[in-house]
Amino acid sequence: MLRRILLLAIVAGIAGFGVFWWLTIPATIAASALPAHQPDLANGQEMFNAGGCSSCHAVPKQDDRLKLGGGLAIGSPFGTFYAPNISPDPNDGIGRWSEADFVNAVMKGTSPAGTHVFPAFPYTSYQHARISDVRDLFAYLKTLPAVSGKVPDHDVPFPFNIRRTIGIWKLLFMDDKPLVADASRSAQWNRGDYLVNSFGHCAECHSPRNVLGGIIAAQRFAGGPNPEGEGWVPNITQKRMSDWSAKDISYFLESGQTPDGDSAGGAMVRVIKNTSQLTAQDRDAIAEYIKSLPPVDGPPRPKKPEKES
Amino acid sequence: MKRIVIVAAVLAFSAGAVVAQQDQAKKTQAMMKDNGKNAGALAAIIKGEKPYDQATVDAALAQFDETAKALPTLFPESLKGAKLDGDYAPSPKIWEDKAGFAQHAASFGKAVTEAKGKIKDVDTLKAELGVIGKQCGGCHETYRIKKS
Repeated sequence: MLRRILLLAIVAGIAGFGVFWWLTIPATIAASALPAHQPDLANGQEMFNAGGCSSCHAVPKQDDRLKLGGGLAIGSPFGTFYAPNISPDPNDGIGRWSEADFVNAVMKGTSPAGTHVFPAFPYTSYQHARISDVRDLFAYLKTLPAVSGKVPDHDVPFPFNIRRTIGIWKLLFMDDKPLVADASRSAQWNRGDYLVNSFGHCAECHSPRNVLGGIIAAQRFAGGPNPEGEGWVPNITQKRMSDWSAKDISYFLESGQTPDGDSAGGAMVRVIKNTSQLTAQDRDAIAEYIKSLPPVDGPPRPKKPEKES
Repeated sequence: MKRIVIVAAVLAFSAGAVVAQQDQAKKTQAMMKDNGKNAGALAAIIKGEKPYDQATVDAALAQFDETAKALPTLFPESLKGAKLDGDYAPSPKIWEDKAGFAQHAASFGKAVTEAKGKIKDVDTLKAELGVIGKQCGGCHETYRIKKS
């Protein structure tokens, strides 16, 4: 009897592991599935700026935002991630990557080695990008200077360091629904929707996250505690932004200045360095989309410090 | 009796220190708010909401200049770790990296000085405010924490 139970347990264990393995197979797009493509470098540069690649991948503490040697430490409740080198360096960067490798990393969160990439890299947003735009971005990155130097390994404790488990995380939090254009809205709004929810990855910081680090969908764009540490990321729905016009938002993305003359602070300063490089049309498109976000209550904001007497 | 006097004195002193902290913080916040008002007035010109006005520009630059000079004194050691009212808090980095903070303040002052006399119309205003605005953001990126 005991033997039979033991046997059953082993079989169940193997079956369970098999299901886990099957559920967590990293997704890829085959190179053969990519149609012929003539890269548009100017568009690649626009996507580079919309995607904010430089904010994390540029070498920290120097001014050249096109030196993508990586190394920036990105704090999170799950450990510290170090932004990889994505310069065209063949040894330390992505110089040896094929175009399909790049598309899979950006849109599927799957590395060239076939492992899951940590979602500190916002592929949950990038998955909504158009493949042609991702390919243009790849071509643009290839034109930037190669930077040598390996970055430190991610400092992520058990159990989060088991890459395969990210497959389950993806099942839970990476919705495969493609971004569908809304015919009832203007072309500019749809462009904004695309930029904000794919390359722009605004929601990745401006939304609260649950204990597993997934975005709480009902409170998308409603702000929350800064995942990188101290402070608060603002709600950018109309709950908080009703007194900003679309023009104010657009000007903010260009200059970092709020309507009351205050300036962006914290991580948004790095974002403005990218959005200030976008075309005015794309900034206006983002502004129109953000201005259209219905008001949503975010998580309760911290109370003002009590008066000491 | 003696003990009561000492305790009372210490309490009064520390209460006084807290009041002084809040006063200092309020002064700093008021100064920054004024900067914001001035920068906002300049932005309104750039956005085309208001016509170009040299007096507005000069007043704003004068106020920025004052702030740049005052900045190194606005965050004394006594403010470190203090619980302050308001939406923003000074980051502990102000005291951990005093040299870096001082450098930012000096660089802001330099940008303001260089802008004086250069701004004559909307186009030059836009160019120079861009330079100054980067200074604001550059400092706020590291040394200011948004609390709510």
